[in-house]
Amino acid sequence: MKSYAKKHYLLVLLAVITINFFLPRLMPGDPFLYLSVEEGEVAAAFSEEQIAQYKAYYGMDKPLYMQFYDYILKLLQGDLGYSIYYNTSVLEMILLRIPWTIFIVLCALFLSSFFGTLLGAISARLREKPADKFMYLFMVVFSEIPSFLLGIVFLFVLAAKLKWFPLSGGITIFAPHTSMLSYMGDLLHHAALPIITLTPAGLGNFYILARNSMLTVLSKDYINTAKAKGLKKWQILYKHALRNALPPIIARIFLSLGSLFGGAVLIENVFAYPGVGKLMREAVLKRDYVLIQGIFLTVAVTMLLMNWLADVIYKKLDPRVFR
Amino acid sequence: MKYAKLLKCIRKIPGKLRNFNIFSAYGKIGFVFVLLMVLTGIISVLFMGEAHKIPSGASLEAPGLIHPLGTDDLGIDILAQILHGAFVSIQVGFFSAMLAGIGGSTLGILAGYCGGWTDKLIMGICDVMMVIPQLPLMIVLGAFFGPSLRNIILVIVILSWSRPARIARARVLSMRQEGYIIAAKSYGAGFRHLAVKHFIPGILPIILVSIIRLISKAIRAEAGLTFLGLGDPTSKSWGVILNRSINFSGIYYTDYWKWWVMSPLTVLILLVLSISFIARDMELLFHNKGDKL
Repeated sequence: MKSYAKKHYLLVLLAVITINFFLPRLMPGDPFLYLSVEEGEVAAAFSEEQIAQYKAYYGMDKPLYMQFYDYILKLLQGDLGYSIYYNTSVLEMILLRIPWTIFIVLCALFLSSFFGTLLGAISARLREKPADKFMYLFMVVFSEIPSFLLGIVFLFVLAAKLKWFPLSGGITIFAPHTSMLSYMGDLLHHAALPIITLTPAGLGNFYILARNSMLTVLSKDYINTAKAKGLKKWQILYKHALRNALPPIIARIFLSLGSLFGGAVLIENVFAYPGVGKLMREAVLKRDYVLIQGIFLTVAVTMLLMNWLADVIYKKLDPRVFR
Repeated sequence: MKYAKLLKCIRKIPGKLRNFNIFSAYGKIGFVFVLLMVLTGIISVLFMGEAHKIPSGASLEAPGLIHPLGTDDLGIDILAQILHGAFVSIQVGFFSAMLAGIGGSTLGILAGYCGGWTDKLIMGICDVMMVIPQLPLMIVLGAFFGPSLRNIILVIVILSWSRPARIARARVLSMRQEGYIIAAKSYGAGFRHLAVKHFIPGILPIILVSIIRLISKAIRAEAGLTFLGLGDPTSKSWGVILNRSINFSGIYYTDYWKWWVMSPLTVLILLVLSISFIARDMELLFHNKGDKL
């Protein structure tokens, strides 16, 4: 099984920072005009000295590698710059929003890996029977549907028509919460639809992986031994087989995080859920480039951190990975 | 003369597909649907002119005889928009998958053949591409490049060449060990000869499958990006229609969503599923049961 080395994380982080650094510099037009003039407005004329002064102020007169060095130095201090539109610190805005996103991503990750593995194991036991064939087809088809489209269907049918779930938002505004419990209930009620929508995206992958992994394990000798010992069927399946089939499934968690975050960005916009994805769309609509870049960097860092965490847990679970 | 084998190999693929019965029932349905979408796209461009842009009725009409799927808030026929959207989606899917497939496999062949630092560099970028959060990066690139169909295709290509590159490299690496390649090399075959005569014909089937998967991925990505408002509002794709209808203020409290939201959504889902059915059948056909997308 492939586990990502530390070098890998640094490489990705460097790539993200480099993209963030060079994109605005590759843009046509003057960076300092782009900061101060709205699209379509007539730019005020500046004298040569003024431009030189502004360039010195923003550090644009330095050579490119010095600017890059300064940029990284600023990032290390947690300075992501100021939002062009909202005029507040980008980092603060993102820190307010990112817990929402992480919450739904983690919930969906847990649900999809749990149910995917469970259904995969069941399917492997019922191999080649109609139930297995049907489930396989259903899962493959289901996982292909883009999750935000599914979300729109849920939004209109379950929330707008049947009114089982709230239409939008992360919490009922101005609702008096007498106890912690009602507060939590309200949170979950709002998060339910986004999580339900995000889950199928990963479910199919986990299902197929679990099914394949179980089929390999079930053909091993020690399963025959267990059968010969007269163990019960569920004991063999869940105690002997599933345990050995788990490592590749856990490893898949690394790779599915990226697509889950991507799905979350879209789904948050379907349900107007107050996470980072919705902020990103707002930033896109307002052409707030600094904010867009900040979100991209933060999402990448969060993803890498979660990857790293999963890596650590994986090594604890499966000592064979130690190299 | 040199390209004879390559041409033969390309010619063999439609031959294999000529027998329609190799497809499963789902594959056939998928094939018919994709064909239908291509046809409607062509018809809409050739014969319907500007019907997807110009109002032809009152705003927000319910489905009826003149407007089978009703009209949107500007009074533009929704069916005409859907038909035109098929053209946009297939255009995006086809061009980005082709570019990513050809570019990616070229890089993969280079990486597999040259080895050394070329290999390390290309595979390093591939690894980064696999881990980087794709959609946020697409949004960043899309926001900076500006909304246009060409830029969306470009962004999708940048983010999806890594998979065909990986596949091509793995295949070339294993081919290099085989006797006929070693023999060809010992006769003094250069890179161009090997690539045209052996590598490309060898990887063509698996790359084809991966290109079909990329088409579906590109269509999904385009829909997602335009849904977020990063699309070109003048090229009415299904994502643009969705974006417009969802953001219409009364949409939750009226029945308009039943045709305005659901029709682009349904065709989008059907198209993505159809392509994935075809890809599955092709996979079985070329005996490539490797990892899936």
